[in-house]
Amino acid sequence: MTQPHLPLAGDRLPPSEIHITQALIDTYAQLSGDFNPIHVSAPAGEEAGFGGTIAHGCLPLEPVLQSLQRWSGRHSLPQGTRIQLRYRAPSRPGDTICSSISIRDVQASSVTLIFTCNNQHGQPVLDGECIWPGEAP
Amino acid sequence: MNPDFLYDTARLGEVLCSDSCEVSQDELTCFRTLLGYPSDGEADLAPSSMGLTYGLRLGWKHQVFPPGVVRMGDDDLFGVPARAGDTLTTSFRIVEKFEKKSRRFLRYEMRTDNQRNEMVCTISFLAMVPQEST
Repeated sequence: MTQPHLPLAGDRLPPSEIHITQALIDTYAQLSGDFNPIHVSAPAGEEAGFGGTIAHGCLPLEPVLQSLQRWSGRHSLPQGTRIQLRYRAPSRPGDTICSSISIRDVQASSVTLIFTCNNQHGQPVLDGECIWPGEAP
Repeated sequence: MNPDFLYDTARLGEVLCSDSCEVSQDELTCFRTLLGYPSDGEADLAPSSMGLTYGLRLGWKHQVFPPGVVRMGDDDLFGVPARAGDTLTTSFRIVEKFEKKSRRFLRYEMRTDNQRNEMVCTISFLAMVPQEST
């Protein structure tokens, strides 16, 4: 009889990705009410030193959340999930952002995962840590 | 801008604004479709990432964020998921400010609770604010 695979430190989660377009950014701006000019106005993005518009920070984070939810078989993160992250570079229209997540530590009460999201050039756009409450899925 | 939201005069730790909204199925479906969530499963359940939008909406509605603000990092805690029909109340605080290398940073905290006073999410993010808005 096959034993179920228990998560171990070093295990990697299947990646997820998101393709950033200006249409995606514009619609996200409508949904979130965040019309910060650096997201929706190319001249404002250029003036701020980004060379054009950049995506809302939540958009390149999306692959991390979707990958975690798929890994767990859940439709949302469990109560008590904590995510800490640092943005490393802006995500721009035309970018494809892909998550890379691995398990760092497994305890009885929680699982710690570390993640990075890279763009299509392999450049990290964000990285961080997730504390997953309870047992691993 | 409201002086409560400016770097020099921000009232740290106090609730600076709050607002309630109802989660509609239309809005939820739009969000799920936009970000590629499967149409099967619990269609009335808000993906966790939707929690990141409630505080943004509140902050921009009340003009807490200065235009040009740049998000640097997050510390987010997720609670019970929101569902269509929930009434969510989000409160907004500025909890920290500091200067580093001649740049000014504010840490914003947005807590969202549902109608049963259960925490849906607490989103905290560090932002670099433009000098002219401080």
